[in-house]
Amino acid sequence: MIGSAVAAGWTVMRTQEHARWVEHTYEVEQRIGSLRVMVERLEVARRGYLLSQRPVSKQTFVQTVATEPALIADLRRLTVDNPSQQARIAIAERLTAEQFHLQAASILLAGRDPAAAITQFGLDSSLHLTRQLRIVTGAMEAEENKLLVLRIAAQRQSVRQLFAILAVFGALAIAVAVVSISVLRRYTGSLVEARDAERAMGAELEDRVRARTYELSRANDEIQRFAYIVSHDLRSPLVNVMGFTGELEAAAKPLAALIERVEAEAPHLMDADAATAAREDLPESIGFIRTSTQKMDRLINAILRLSREGKRVINPEPIDLVEMIEMIVASLQHRLDETGTTVTIERPMPPLVADRLAVEQMLSNLIENAVKYLQPGRPGQINLSARTVRNRVAIDVADNGRGIDPRDHDRIFDLFRRSGQQDQPGEGIGLAHVRASAYRLGGLIDCRSALGEGATFTLALPAHPVTSQG
Amino acid sequence: MNTHQPVNIVMVEDDEGHARLIEKNIRRAGISNDIRHFTDGNSALDYLYNSPDGPALNGPALILLDLNLPDMSGTDILIRIKAEGSPLRRTPVIVLTTTDDKVEIQRCYDLGANVYITKPVDYESFATAIRQLGLFLSVIQVPVIEPDA
Repeated sequence: MIGSAVAAGWTVMRTQEHARWVEHTYEVEQRIGSLRVMVERLEVARRGYLLSQRPVSKQTFVQTVATEPALIADLRRLTVDNPSQQARIAIAERLTAEQFHLQAASILLAGRDPAAAITQFGLDSSLHLTRQLRIVTGAMEAEENKLLVLRIAAQRQSVRQLFAILAVFGALAIAVAVVSISVLRRYTGSLVEARDAERAMGAELEDRVRARTYELSRANDEIQRFAYIVSHDLRSPLVNVMGFTGELEAAAKPLAALIERVEAEAPHLMDADAATAAREDLPESIGFIRTSTQKMDRLINAILRLSREGKRVINPEPIDLVEMIEMIVASLQHRLDETGTTVTIERPMPPLVADRLAVEQMLSNLIENAVKYLQPGRPGQINLSARTVRNRVAIDVADNGRGIDPRDHDRIFDLFRRSGQQDQPGEGIGLAHVRASAYRLGGLIDCRSALGEGATFTLALPAHPVTSQG
Repeated sequence: MNTHQPVNIVMVEDDEGHARLIEKNIRRAGISNDIRHFTDGNSALDYLYNSPDGPALNGPALILLDLNLPDMSGTDILIRIKAEGSPLRRTPVIVLTTTDDKVEIQRCYDLGANVYITKPVDYESFATAIRQLGLFLSVIQVPVIEPDA
């Protein structure tokens, strides 16, 4: 493309050059024509004067002669590159000079003696000179014509070249355009393909997510139902176990009283085995049955509560976290005073829209745990803060308590699982409940802690409720 | 209870143990009325409506109803008893069950249950609740059933 452009430019320049030469030739020809006209005119003027002796003819002659040197000089200058023309010019100059001479003499003679002048006219060589001049100027013209033909041919040639180059250039431009269009089309085609593929993939992904969400929510519902039925149906036999344990206990009392009476009133009837059974074995067994069934009852209630919490309709509303936390702390004030624990609430806290009851339960659980699991010998310090992390509100419950072994960080969120020394009452339900609620609200619960160095629980909840919920 | 005609207590309870514990504690409260026990819904309904000595045909009654029955839900029996035109629709029904689900409780009252009591698992509370129920039974008035009602 660039090459053809350069070639086109060069050809244009050359064509201009040729045009200039053609123009030059025309100029030269014009001068030659003028010269020839001058020669003829001089002759005509002389002859006219010879015939009529009118002064106007003489004046024309003088005037015409005056133009000669300039004309010759022009021709010399214009044909400076052409030696043959220069030679001819020299000849023409000499001839014209001779001619002038003759003509001038003839005019002067005619002024005095017209008849003699006419006679002289018939004798002198001016006719011959004029003919010679005609030949010379004719040759010059022929030369110039020849040059003109050549130059026009050259010009035509260069114009043709220019056209050829332009044609090549055009062809090249069209080719480039075609190539770029096809490249562009291929590119846009692949872009469109990629976009379509991406769309299809997105749709497929969405479908998959929807299917998975549906499966999950169905599985979740099933678990909920299962938990509910199991816990509910387990309760029924438990009522019997506890009920008849109570009856047994009640029945054991008169039995024990009877043993006392037998021992007091009829020692010979006394049986050591019966006495141990009534006084020790029976109450001990009943005691174990009772504590175990009570524990089982608490566990079943926990499962029931979890499943019920899962079924509860979530009702998001704006929550003032500071106010809520202050209320929770106030409800724990008695225990805080007892253990000498201080609570710091960092204000302000970001706004949160979520289910009030669920958030309150989760925070209560976390704060209660912080108060519950203190490091012995170290006054408790609990720090409560909240921050916005992108579109979530992260609430930190940090304590300086006994901490949790990193190995147990996942375990503590499982139902009925606890960590560390089992010196505090509890069933391992609280954190399981917190995690279930956090998941339900589309949030996360996380624990950072090391043994003996306190623990920080971070509850990250969506600042606004997630629209789709299973 | 009504003095002129003894009130039968009809207990629909699939768990024998529960039935026994309920009966014991009602007796402890000093209630000596006849207690008829049924462990499934069909036989209970049959007795209620068709038995010559059942409440529909013979005398006032009070029904203790458990919701978890093997052959039908207790609420089905409740619907039958409290239905428009049922001869037993004025008969007091005390729902006595382990379920403490809020929705279930509301539903039972909507269907016309007169009292809803959750069986406490803890035996002391259970015994106390039943004994209190017994005391309650000793003072409530039960409507006389007119067989043609």
